[in-house]
Amino acid sequence: MSHNQCVQCKGRGFCGRPACPILEKFRSIESYATASKGVTSIFGASPPAIFIGRHDYPSVMSGPMVPPDMSRNESSMLEDPKQLLGMNIDQIIAARSMLVRAGARMKVKDAADPKDPLLLKSQELALSMTPVDTEVWFNKPLSNKLKFDSVLTPMGPSGDLKDMDIAENPDVPKKVDYLVYDDDALAKDVVSELNSSNISQEHITRLLSIGLLGKERKLVPTRWSITAVDDMLGKEMLRKVRDNTLISNIMLFSGGAFGNHFEILLIPRAFSYELIEIWMPRAVWSGGSTWIGADGEGTEGKKGYSILTGGYYAARLGVLEYLNSIRRQATVFMIREIRPDYWAPLGVWVIREAVRNALQKPPQKFESIDTALSEMSSRIHTPAGSWRQKASLIDELKYQKTLDFFL
Amino acid sequence: MFKATIDADILKSSIETLSVLVDEARFRISTEGLSVRAVDPANVAMVSFELAASAFTDFAADDCEIGMDLTKVNDIFGVAEKNEKATLELDELSQKMSIYIGGFSYTLSLLDPSTIRAEPRIPQLELPAEVVLNGKELQKAVKAAEKISDHMSLGVDGDIFYMEAEGDTDKVRLEMPRDQLIDLRSGEARSLFSLDYLSDIVKPASKSNEVTLELGKDYPIKIGFTIAEGAGKISYLLAPRIESD
Repeated sequence: MSHNQCVQCKGRGFCGRPACPILEKFRSIESYATASKGVTSIFGASPPAIFIGRHDYPSVMSGPMVPPDMSRNESSMLEDPKQLLGMNIDQIIAARSMLVRAGARMKVKDAADPKDPLLLKSQELALSMTPVDTEVWFNKPLSNKLKFDSVLTPMGPSGDLKDMDIAENPDVPKKVDYLVYDDDALAKDVVSELNSSNISQEHITRLLSIGLLGKERKLVPTRWSITAVDDMLGKEMLRKVRDNTLISNIMLFSGGAFGNHFEILLIPRAFSYELIEIWMPRAVWSGGSTWIGADGEGTEGKKGYSILTGGYYAARLGVLEYLNSIRRQATVFMIREIRPDYWAPLGVWVIREAVRNALQKPPQKFESIDTALSEMSSRIHTPAGSWRQKASLIDELKYQKTLDFFL
Repeated sequence: MFKATIDADILKSSIETLSVLVDEARFRISTEGLSVRAVDPANVAMVSFELAASAFTDFAADDCEIGMDLTKVNDIFGVAEKNEKATLELDELSQKMSIYIGGFSYTLSLLDPSTIRAEPRIPQLELPAEVVLNGKELQKAVKAAEKISDHMSLGVDGDIFYMEAEGDTDKVRLEMPRDQLIDLRSGEARSLFSLDYLSDIVKPASKSNEVTLELGKDYPIKIGFTIAEGAGKISYLLAPRIESD
């Protein structure tokens, strides 16, 4: 197995094996929901969370995620990136492994006209902003395997959903209640309206995933819906950012989370974006060697799915939110160095939050791109010689003059 | 108020000269005619466009400004046959443009001009060299350069206008002495340009028998030509690249 392939695939099965050996290694971590082993029903407050699988699409495993015996006060943190950010990797895995995935096979198109009571109840659960006491029954006693993925946050054992019951009324924000009944609006417009009404991104993703948004409603596998929302929100924000005036200085931000180190360079030029991903040896997907990949977009936008997968869109959203908030425009050159301390895949929320985090710190300002680049390289462990030639955007900026230079 | 009739062909090629750089544009309308000044999103190339009232068979207008989605206008003029006339009529109240062409009557929603990028300031440049040549020759040179590299140099050396492109391994050079050109004003000039931009700009220019290039040393190039028998003037300005060491 070539480790280069692992970094690019991140568990999508490119090697042809039935299960990803890297992810399999994490699955054997003992679930902290040990009490759930062997039981056929559980009761607890769902954060709320639902899970839609992607195997055998368009007939997918769908249903709620419920932490056994957990109270509403405790369970809300399981889906809240801000709270997860305050833990270490072991604590996150421990906490998230409490979430038992209860799934039944459903056709994705059933969401357009839901009749299955399991789907209707899952949708009702997804509407809630706060945890909801939920009881689920299984056809077979629960096993004890966890789920890991590059885009998804880790999850606990899964069970074959037989029946479910919501023990209380979900707490549905007015805006959500109103927009899920609008089946004339396009999903992308509803997603951005929910976002500007301060509905959390996890909530929006949950609604999209369970088929409650837009015109042609479908169940959307959780992994896809996370990136779809990152992409839709990013594109919407970019529309506004393109009309903003340029930043006045070259600015460099630095920061990270869980061994994901970010250097974010903002240059006073029209928005374009380049991300260089450096997987150091012994980080999750890289095995024994370094892997470096780059992807980006110019003024014409991104076509097709990024070779850097979901992280590309999560990082782009983080930086567009920042530009939108300061009402400015810039070219963005970003390096993400993944270090060995990132030993288990935690999901793309890590990237989104690490970028947001770095952009909250005061930036360093520079006179030239070259001095900013050498400052960046001093904090990147991997020698500049191995990533510098992948940065095609930087060269384009250095060599192509703009017309305002001649005013 | 704006109501005008024109050869569909002229309007089609006018829109083309703009749409190579931008997707939407602000049109200034006055008793004199139409004008547009637009810059591409990266601020590397701009276009100034003027179409005099004399290019129209009928023309009646007051001063106003409208925003149009060029892709939509291009699509509408796609149905036009040769020598067909098009009539445009603005409804200011509803901000819609009616376009009558070949029996069709379109109603096109206009864009709020304030949502379109502001008109750029035009750099005032003294460009020492000037070359006038056939647009076809220019396009041929650009096409040859594209096979070799992503950018090409244009320059004047004494009585010779030259174009040069150098790739990682290969090189191409074309020289045109004064007698192969329509006109030449010699001066110190050599600048490098991105072929991404140049090949887009050269497309509409290639239809003109007389294209004027104004050049300097590591300075923007000005590419000018006319359409509609001189009633339409188009001028592009493209920022140079700095040659890498």
